[in-house]
Amino acid sequence: MKGYRALTRATARAALTYRFNLLLGLGAVLVQLVALLAVWRVILGQSSVNGFTWPQMRAYLLVAFAAGTVVSVLGDFRMAFRILDGDVALDLVKPIDYQKARLAEAIGGLWIEVILIAVVVGAALVIGGGVDVPAGPALALFAVSMLLLVPLKFLIVYVSTLACFWTQNYTGVQWARLAVVNLLSGALIPLVYLPGWLAAVAQWSPFAGLTSTPALIFLGQVDPLHGLTLVAVQLGWVVVLWFGARLVWRAALRRLTVNGG
Amino acid sequence: MRTVRLYLRLLGAHFRSLMEYETDFLILAVATVLMQVVNIVFLAALFKTVPAINGWTFWSVLMMFGAVALAEGVGSLFFDGMWQLAWHINRGQLDYYLVRPYPVALQSSSAAIGINGLSNVIMGSLMIGAGLTHVDIAWTPWRVLLGVVLLISSIVIKLSINLATNAVSFWLASPTPLFAFAMHQVGDLARFPLSVYPMALKAVLGMALPFAFISFFPVAYLLETGQSAWLGLLTPLVAAYCAGAAALIFKRGLRRYESAGN
Amino acid sequence: MPIVEARALTKVFRRPDKGPGLAGSVKHLFARRFQDKVAVDHVDLSIGAGEAVAYVGPNGAGKSTTVKLLSGILVPTEGEVRIDGLHPQRDRMTVAHRIGVLFGQRTQLWWDLPVSESLAVLRDIYGVDHATYRKRLARFDEVLELGEILPVMGRKLSLGQRMRADLAAALVHGPQVVYLDEPTIGLDLAVKDRVREFFRGIRDEGTTVMLTSHDLADIEGFCRRLVIIDNGRIIFDGDLEAVKDRFARERILHVETARPAPLETLRASLPGAQVTVDDSAVRYAVRFDRFTMTAGQAVTALAGLTELVDFRVDEPSIEDVIRRVYSGELVLDGTGTGR
Repeated sequence: MKGYRALTRATARAALTYRFNLLLGLGAVLVQLVALLAVWRVILGQSSVNGFTWPQMRAYLLVAFAAGTVVSVLGDFRMAFRILDGDVALDLVKPIDYQKARLAEAIGGLWIEVILIAVVVGAALVIGGGVDVPAGPALALFAVSMLLLVPLKFLIVYVSTLACFWTQNYTGVQWARLAVVNLLSGALIPLVYLPGWLAAVAQWSPFAGLTSTPALIFLGQVDPLHGLTLVAVQLGWVVVLWFGARLVWRAALRRLTVNGG
Repeated sequence: MRTVRLYLRLLGAHFRSLMEYETDFLILAVATVLMQVVNIVFLAALFKTVPAINGWTFWSVLMMFGAVALAEGVGSLFFDGMWQLAWHINRGQLDYYLVRPYPVALQSSSAAIGINGLSNVIMGSLMIGAGLTHVDIAWTPWRVLLGVVLLISSIVIKLSINLATNAVSFWLASPTPLFAFAMHQVGDLARFPLSVYPMALKAVLGMALPFAFISFFPVAYLLETGQSAWLGLLTPLVAAYCAGAAALIFKRGLRRYESAGN
Repeated sequence: MPIVEARALTKVFRRPDKGPGLAGSVKHLFARRFQDKVAVDHVDLSIGAGEAVAYVGPNGAGKSTTVKLLSGILVPTEGEVRIDGLHPQRDRMTVAHRIGVLFGQRTQLWWDLPVSESLAVLRDIYGVDHATYRKRLARFDEVLELGEILPVMGRKLSLGQRMRADLAAALVHGPQVVYLDEPTIGLDLAVKDRVREFFRGIRDEGTTVMLTSHDLADIEGFCRRLVIIDNGRIIFDGDLEAVKDRFARERILHVETARPAPLETLRASLPGAQVTVDDSAVRYAVRFDRFTMTAGQAVTALAGLTELVDFRVDEPSIEDVIRRVYSGELVLDGTGTGR
């Protein structure tokens, strides 16, 4: 346990040195926020669509931004390059669980991501006006959902970086993941707007928990029972992916030790 | 011209190494296609809610997305090395470039081939093509010629912005093209009709970094959509201006490299 | 007309004087302070066609900066450079065909291309015709054994392989002038030998070579002319052998005798030489000036006194001279007379 806490602290301290990479990763999510805000303001200017009014959509997009910023920035490339550079060999020798170690590092980076989120959301609220905060129980459920977001996002990113054991081109894997996640998580457009079958697939996929679930809970668009189900699905995926990742890891190790670096 | 022939030769040298890593190449190509597919699904879903946004229909916005993809694709396919300029400057690699009898900018941009560019060129062309078949345009020879000119101009603008923003690396100490990349992301805003944005952003996308002339204005002119559609005619002029500005910025940057060392 | 000419060549680097950390950077925005570093200070250099010049100096003396100024990579703050009468910046394309450069610390090979392909691309950039190219490559192969590394990818080359390939790359277009900046750094002895043989080969063909190196064995037997630079100024420019004759006259004869011999007797037989006991009772070192006594004379004299088992003679090297120059023990004026 101590080892992991040290990793968290180390990453937290180093977070500022990565500030440029951070701003870069932030850039994409920020640009998407600005574009979507602009477009939806026109569409929903007159009337609501599919149960979304403009103030609601604004809130949705801000939650999507927050969800998109978390664990995005520090985790990805560092984890990938570790494997691509062969440094992972050093990690394997340490008496520390690789997966838990990476999670500890991801948590270490959270503080700076939270600050960035606060700044952007704060600015958006000042410029565009406030949002309705949901009632107590819904708010609590939202908080839980956001907390679950961290390990869920981490696991999805983590599993995709394991692809580095099989291919040199991590960029391709990352782009594919970003595209699929962007759509199926509801970040690009709320799932309710997607064709029925696609929305259903997305809803039951691990990705819904990355944006749609916490956002819908925050908007109060789901009744308490539905909300709890959604959060349960989130949790379920965290568990499945946690152990699934370990299986992939074992396969990766076999490949590493058989093929060399 | 010999310069062009040599450029293709320089690019071609990387083709063999691309072929060596077939899986990686395939992954990147497929991922890029996937990105555009997601864009299309998004647009389709968006336009199910309204028939048009500020007069822009699904097909016309699809054309804008396609134009951006196409321009970016050409950049990645033929000029991807530009994104390594920051790295080369940082490592002093330009020293060797300066000693060879070939323009430094071209040596730099030919340093890599981005196979994702091929996917974007294909997808972008398909998106533009699909858009064109679903809109009412009276195709006269003049209009066809104009379309081609606008297309080339739009690509030139994208390449110029790439060159200029990457040339900023001459003034920054970073080994990665952060500024250029950030500006590139801003360009994604121009995939949507300009009228949805506040004035300040419109000015930025129209003048400071004329991303709007890559997609919005040319398409607006061809489709005669919106009030400022006539601005699309200025696209070739903007292209010439951007190319000149980019060349100037690069030259200045090179002069800085020669006087400050690295 | 000299093929490389530098007059009052000066390069001053202006570096911002920033305090450490974020606070320093911010302060610098308001109170800009700069530090001027004079890397090259009014250097006058004239190299004739076909010369092999050694350009030597301690770290930070300005050697690499001079090379960059002479190849047009850097613009001088003051003074001028002419390559074959041409201006390196104004006539960049023409000058590029005349010169070749090798920076030992950096490669100009493409990372993701095999060496053969890198060389072929350079051939095309310089417009070398295929027949000439093949002949040249064959000649390189003789000495550098290029054949075995041609199919290897740039990023997979060992240091020795990389240097050999980079040498070929620098000369693929048959330039009249070649600048070699630390071309043997980090190489093992076998490769160094091969590379040095290659240097002699290109010199013999008439190529003008300017060599900077920290390994002074590189310049022995290769460069006729020695230029020493320190703190941006040239402190010596003259004939290498002449320098050695003047300042590296001392030789040491080490002998091993069958039986210990009385030191005074040995000393008496070798007037003008210093005789000391080496590391054991039967080993002696005779220090003498090679212009006042030959090694043969010394050996003959000693052999007459006692039975010699073994001997060797330590040669003077330019390294000793330069070491003494660096340490300040020996001060050369520009023409090679010293104090």
